[in-house]
Amino acid sequence: MSRLPVADRATVRRALRDMISRHRRAVGVVLALHSAAAVAGLAPPWLLGTIVDRVAAGAGVATVDRLALAIAGCVLVSALLSRYAQYAGHRFGERAVAELREQFVSRTLGLPVSVVERAGSGDLATRSSVDVSTVGSTVRDVVPTIVIATVQLTLLFGAVFLLHPLLGLAALAGLPSIVAVTRWYLRRASSAYLTEGAAAAELTETLTTTAEGARTVEALRLADERVRHGTTRVTLVWRARRATLALRTVFFSVVEASYPLPVAMVLLVGGYLLARDMVSLGAVVAAALYLQQAIDPLDRLLQWTEQAQRGFASYARVLGVGMVPPEPPGTTASSPGERLVVRGARFSYSDGPDVLHGIDLEVQPGERLAVVGPSGAGKSTLARLLAGIDAPRQGVVSIGGCPVTDLDPAERRRRIALVTQEHHVFIGSVRDNLSFAAPDASDDQMRAALATVGADWFAALPDDLDTPLGDGARQLGAAEAQQLALARLVLADPHTLILDEATAALDPSTARRTERALAAVLSGRTVIAIAHRLNTAHDADRVAVLADGRITEIGSHDELVAAGGAYAALWRSWHTRVDER
Amino acid sequence: MRYLWWLVRCQPWRVLRGSLLGTAWMIGLSARPYLIARAVDDGLRTGDTRALALWVAAIVVAGVGLSYLGIMRHRTMTFIREDAKARSAEVLLRHLSRIGAVLPRRVGAGEVSTIGGSDIDWTAQVLTLTGPGVGAVVAYGVIAVVLWSISPMLAFCVLVGVPVVGLVVGPLLRRLERAESVYRRQQGALTARSGDIVAGLRVLAGVGGRDLFARRYAARSQELRAEGYRVGAVNSWIDAATVAIPGLFLAAVVWLTARMAVTGDVTIGELVAVYGYVATLIVPVWFLLEGSHQLIRGRVAARRIADLLNVTPDDVGGPGRRWPDSTPEARRPEARRPGSVPEARRPPGPAAPDGPADLHDPVTGLTVRAGSLTGVAVNDPATAVALADRLGRYVVSGVTWGGVPLRDVALDEVRARILVADHDSYLFAGTLRDILGAGADDDDERIGAALRTASAQDVVDALPAGLDTPIDARARTLSGGQRQRLRLARALHREPEVLILIDPTSAVDAHTEARIAERLRTARAGRTTVLIATSPLLLGRADLVAHVSAGRVTGTGSHTDLFDSDPAYRHLVARGSEEAYR
Repeated sequence: MSRLPVADRATVRRALRDMISRHRRAVGVVLALHSAAAVAGLAPPWLLGTIVDRVAAGAGVATVDRLALAIAGCVLVSALLSRYAQYAGHRFGERAVAELREQFVSRTLGLPVSVVERAGSGDLATRSSVDVSTVGSTVRDVVPTIVIATVQLTLLFGAVFLLHPLLGLAALAGLPSIVAVTRWYLRRASSAYLTEGAAAAELTETLTTTAEGARTVEALRLADERVRHGTTRVTLVWRARRATLALRTVFFSVVEASYPLPVAMVLLVGGYLLARDMVSLGAVVAAALYLQQAIDPLDRLLQWTEQAQRGFASYARVLGVGMVPPEPPGTTASSPGERLVVRGARFSYSDGPDVLHGIDLEVQPGERLAVVGPSGAGKSTLARLLAGIDAPRQGVVSIGGCPVTDLDPAERRRRIALVTQEHHVFIGSVRDNLSFAAPDASDDQMRAALATVGADWFAALPDDLDTPLGDGARQLGAAEAQQLALARLVLADPHTLILDEATAALDPSTARRTERALAAVLSGRTVIAIAHRLNTAHDADRVAVLADGRITEIGSHDELVAAGGAYAALWRSWHTRVDER
Repeated sequence: MRYLWWLVRCQPWRVLRGSLLGTAWMIGLSARPYLIARAVDDGLRTGDTRALALWVAAIVVAGVGLSYLGIMRHRTMTFIREDAKARSAEVLLRHLSRIGAVLPRRVGAGEVSTIGGSDIDWTAQVLTLTGPGVGAVVAYGVIAVVLWSISPMLAFCVLVGVPVVGLVVGPLLRRLERAESVYRRQQGALTARSGDIVAGLRVLAGVGGRDLFARRYAARSQELRAEGYRVGAVNSWIDAATVAIPGLFLAAVVWLTARMAVTGDVTIGELVAVYGYVATLIVPVWFLLEGSHQLIRGRVAARRIADLLNVTPDDVGGPGRRWPDSTPEARRPEARRPGSVPEARRPPGPAAPDGPADLHDPVTGLTVRAGSLTGVAVNDPATAVALADRLGRYVVSGVTWGGVPLRDVALDEVRARILVADHDSYLFAGTLRDILGAGADDDDERIGAALRTASAQDVVDALPAGLDTPIDARARTLSGGQRQRLRLARALHREPEVLILIDPTSAVDAHTEARIAERLRTARAGRTTVLIATSPLLLGRADLVAHVSAGRVTGTGSHTDLFDSDPAYRHLVARGSEEAYR
């Protein structure tokens, strides 16, 4: 499995810069408003310092009243400004996140199927759920918090500098230890928290799967095994939590012990300056209060940095999807004919040994070809080559004389459809699940298509074509889902169908129903059926036996039975008595 | 509530330590304003350098002490919560693994995952109350005493004012949470959609429609953005209010204190200290408000856990459901409600047959001969499943085993000797070796033999680390046919006295199926095996085949006999291809 790429740091930075410059104005407004709000928020301690000075100088009640009122005014102004700052920031975040997820989905949809399959859909699923939402919450919640905290800190420390530069320098004295321990912590935190999260998720999964598989647990007497398995998970969670706790222990104790240092330094230096009449008592008090006030934004900044770092890592994975070259647009828009020809096709999965060794095959329009053979013979690989999902390493697969991989992908999918045992019901209405195969189809056509494949369950749906399906709505059974997929095919109307064990995952009676539905779809089309049921082979015009990546026998059913090869032997064991009659 | 109390009682010393540390830390928070005030009053104002140095040193020392208390409190509380989580998880796990087959019918898998995920966390979160919760009450009292010594009138204003501010702001924050939760739900739905697209990517590649999906997703995403704008507009007001209200209250206190300073009722240092106390008092008050909210949520979560623990197995008749008293849930009072009498106390039933014995199902009239390979061809899958349930005693029935009613035999013994291998039995996550040999410490040789019989060696060979390759739950990465062969190998590896297989090869190609049929016969030679299937390749290898139609055995004999004499049977096993053949 080759994993999907992850963007490097430079790419992520560039993408971030692009995002900011696209929303230049919004970002500017947000920063300006937050700064103004923070400035207004600085006034109360300064005013308190003024009160201290005035009262010490023997000022009256009127002065105190006026200054106290000013404090209240500043609180209100600051709150108002920060409201608008937050709202603007929020809108920016929403816009940026929407852009990001839409881009991600459209890129995901443009990925070549072979890339997704090789990377495993799990990786992509994680990116689409965990990573996109991590980046989303980072942009929406974490970045604003960090921006506000940074602005506040800058202004608070700036204010102390304004009171007296020496006080400012003293205030900075407490910071080196904080910076050092933060760097130490950030280097370790992300991976430790990811481990913790993964361990917790595994424990939950153990509980859930134990419940899901309860009957199997009872039948195979797995109870003790499940408990043992779960206990191991509990231990792993406990260990992971201890690891993160150890990190926090170091980090928080150093950081919290460092918080009073700036205050202490300012008081000491302030005492020295006060003795030389270089500052007022009020200025020192205000500086001490500013620094006391700085603890809160500093705390927030430090707590969220780790989140921001994780957001950065997720962003790199989200961007990585965009680095896969999209499926190349074909060079030919429409296929001139319908005749499928395979010449000397060899294929191997990413530098592995060849799975197909020189396949030669011709399928006439309207012909039905069954491909049989033991598992691992390369049947599915051949199906993928015929459908144009993979290109042969050597040789050519062409339709109407034009290599299938040169066809425009959208056009190719409309003409050659691959039906596998995998079926997927999309979240959405019945119409949503059908219309994408043929956007122009009318409701009546859709109903007719469902009737063609024998989807009688459709009549019982409460809202006709608008009945929602999947995920919390109506769940379709395997056969129903497969019928839906077949109705889609009827609408898409491809001239060539490749069936890769389309009914293999169904239980026998369901399979029978589905096969009947399938028969309705097959009429009038070229069909290549990868089959594991011999009756499918029997009904076909020709049968190809595939073994070890080679076609060992090909011909009509009767010819092959008469030839007395492997196929004939198998057929006899299937229909013992009938043959002897 | 009793469940919560049980979690507390499991770790009394840790909880006590948490309370002490929580209290000390919370009180320590108010030390800094006091020390700064003393430094201003005694050091700066009087110009006394020694006093200043002393108080500043005290500030630093107090800071270190406070950070120590803070981190120890955090550590203790984390351990308390983790202990509770681990305990809940283990109790749940033990219970879940013993309930058995009935569970999926009683409780949805989604519910278990909610309980296992968030309810355990919420329950553990309540225990936070034992530390900072206790601390908050004490700290509130201490600050009250200190303020009282400065000015009773001020103390009164502050002590009433701060909780009032908390009560005003608290509901606002709840509202914020609610607005957020609507947004999060929509966001979850959108994430589900993108997951849906990823999951269906191959389908889209098969028949097209990518552009349509991209457009549809974008439309939903824009809806969420609009909802985000709405939430943002409301939330930013609430946020501003939560900052402005305490700020205004602080301004009022400063105003009151400053006027008293003017008249000389308080010193300037005390003015600064009061400012600090008010800011500090927010912390304990906040903890209490938050704590009460946590308690409400935690009680709901704990009740759901307790409800799940009260789910009891179905009564499938007879004695012998072992319900070990050593597990914690048995010690909990809830587990012993009247009506759920531990079944182990029932009197033992008649002994099961000592060795292999015939099974007889009166409903269909089927008799399974001991030591033989019996094929059962059933035209209706529901009948087939019901038959297997009766033979394996998943329901109460009249099935007899060597003449003994199966329902009277100890259930443990039935499970140990009769294995029903479902068509869709569950594959748990783990290495392939775990999946196949789970529970038994055993050598690869027996696993290899089982794999060979199930013709599943190629599945193992194709995996990067062979038997040691980790596999997801439900083995989603494998194909239907591969999964089916692994299930078969797992069942064979158990080597049960009676093995009942339901459609074991429906997803396997004909070549492989023929091979499995042959090997199965050899591997199970001399032991009782029931093969519920319609494939002629399998049935052809059975010693005896019973044809069940409309719920009754309508014919028995060898596959070839039935094929010749019973047209319905012929039709069933040839799956309709016979007409074409003629």
